Amino acid sequence: MAIQTEQLTKIYTEVTKGGLVQKKRTGVRDLNLEVKTGEVFAFLGPNGAGKSTTIKLLTRLIFPTNGRAFVMGIPTARRVAMRRVGYLPEQPNIYGYLTGREFLHYVAKLCGLSNTDARNQAEILIRQVGLEGRADSHVRSYSRGMTQRLGLAQALVHDPDLLILDEPLSNLDPIGRKEVRDLILELKKQGKTIFFSSHILSDAELVADRVGILNMGKLIRTGKMDALDAARTSSVEITFQTDETTRARMDLTHWDAVCQDMNIMIRIEDAGDIPKTLKQIEQWGGKLVSVIPQRQSLEEYFMAELGR
Amino acid sequence: MRIQAIAANTFRETIRDRVMINILLFAVGLILLSLIIGDWSLGQQVKVIKDLGLSAMSVFGLLIAVFIGIRLMVQELERRTIYILASKPVHRWEIVVGKFLGLASTLAINVVLMTAALWAVDYVMEGRIDIGLIPAIVLIYVEILLIVAFAIFFSSFISPTIGAIMTLSVFIVGHLSDFLREYVEIYPDQGFHWFLKAVYYIVPNLEKLNMKIAVVEHLEQPPHVFAYGLLYGLAYLSLILMLSILLYQKRDF
Repeated sequence: MAIQTEQLTKIYTEVTKGGLVQKKRTGVRDLNLEVKTGEVFAFLGPNGAGKSTTIKLLTRLIFPTNGRAFVMGIPTARRVAMRRVGYLPEQPNIYGYLTGREFLHYVAKLCGLSNTDARNQAEILIRQVGLEGRADSHVRSYSRGMTQRLGLAQALVHDPDLLILDEPLSNLDPIGRKEVRDLILELKKQGKTIFFSSHILSDAELVADRVGILNMGKLIRTGKMDALDAARTSSVEITFQTDETTRARMDLTHWDAVCQDMNIMIRIEDAGDIPKTLKQIEQWGGKLVSVIPQRQSLEEYFMAELGR
Repeated sequence: MRIQAIAANTFRETIRDRVMINILLFAVGLILLSLIIGDWSLGQQVKVIKDLGLSAMSVFGLLIAVFIGIRLMVQELERRTIYILASKPVHRWEIVVGKFLGLASTLAINVVLMTAALWAVDYVMEGRIDIGLIPAIVLIYVEILLIVAFAIFFSSFISPTIGAIMTLSVFIVGHLSDFLREYVEIYPDQGFHWFLKAVYYIVPNLEKLNMKIAVVEHLEQPPHVFAYGLLYGLAYLSLILMLSILLYQKRDF
């Protein structure tokens, strides 16, 4: 298992009004999550759902109020766990006074690489994320997309097995998003596990194997992407053609049907009824035109799930 | 190795800090200017120049220590660069110690530059350089490092502004430590007697790190005065750094 959490809970204590009032706020509560090795897992939820809190708990930036988390089988309470994890923060901030190359070299040294290995690794990653032309410019002169790519490079510097990416595709232009998506798929091919958070649902659709939906600190659903596709199928529209004679013989009173000229469209709510319906159309002598599943948009599905 | 990397990066960051460069230029300028000021003190020029030079080192070193020291960790948190740093396989204590050593290196260069300026003036005045100033300069450096440790400590749990005020207060109270003790002894029945006593015991006695008058006046000093001051300063510094580490150890970023 690449990620495993057991009843993971984070309650923030906020002190307000000059330290007189303490307010409790739930980041995540009783989170039980499993991400398998080698999969791309999209962690979805609206802003403030607790995605970043979970990620910070997994990367030792904050400590749980209750529960435990493991990455690559190692408890996150142990520093060595981070040797197996590469983390990209949301909108990463990188020391502006360093060049991209200096920064990667620095991060590589933090991960315990020797000087030579750090230099070589920086070189490889600069090429991998396409920063060859700007590697010796100061990071403060980088565009957002370039900073994001440098952020991804630093997450890869120690060749981790698990990548935890916080909103890796937000605030990027369409080309930047495609580049990052392609990089995620490329890393998956290399056998890495990728856990990324997003509030942009189409991202998940394009790259994820499984998704988890989080709302108000609670995990409300996890599932495979294809199962999610099936769950989103709300009805099926079957269209067929017929002629005047056949049309006259047909009894459509029990069907949700719409007739237009010689075309008849039947809507069925349950995809399991498709074979039965097709058989009936054959008996009527109709000529099948199309069978189209009607899906909720991912946004509609997502809103429906959140509204449960 | 990881500490070294963090220290090197902090050095790279702080050595380019504009506030630091401005304070340093001002301090070096003032030391050089003491050539003129010394002229006003008949027969005492050299002593006045050395005294002024060492005091400038102490005060400007303090300013750099407070203003950069207080921002050392805070900037990492505010700019969220700490996310990348702390999520790597590094211990929290390595971050604190690495950052401290980075700034300590920058401050060492500052002290060396200010010493060079002071010796240049001394050479103009006396035709030689007074290496007898070294013990006082070493203790000034230790005092500055101690102030940095306090700045890091305060910045771990209070706002930078209040932290800077608290750190400056440590410097002031630390130099009034002997006075504080005498006051408590003379007026033991004051209502806030316990408070002053607590302050006396908590705040380091920075006068133990002050050998300025002794070296300027060429007063005979037993060798243990310097050694004691050095050990006292380093021990206090280690203690405050350890407390800072404890606070950062469990802090949420």
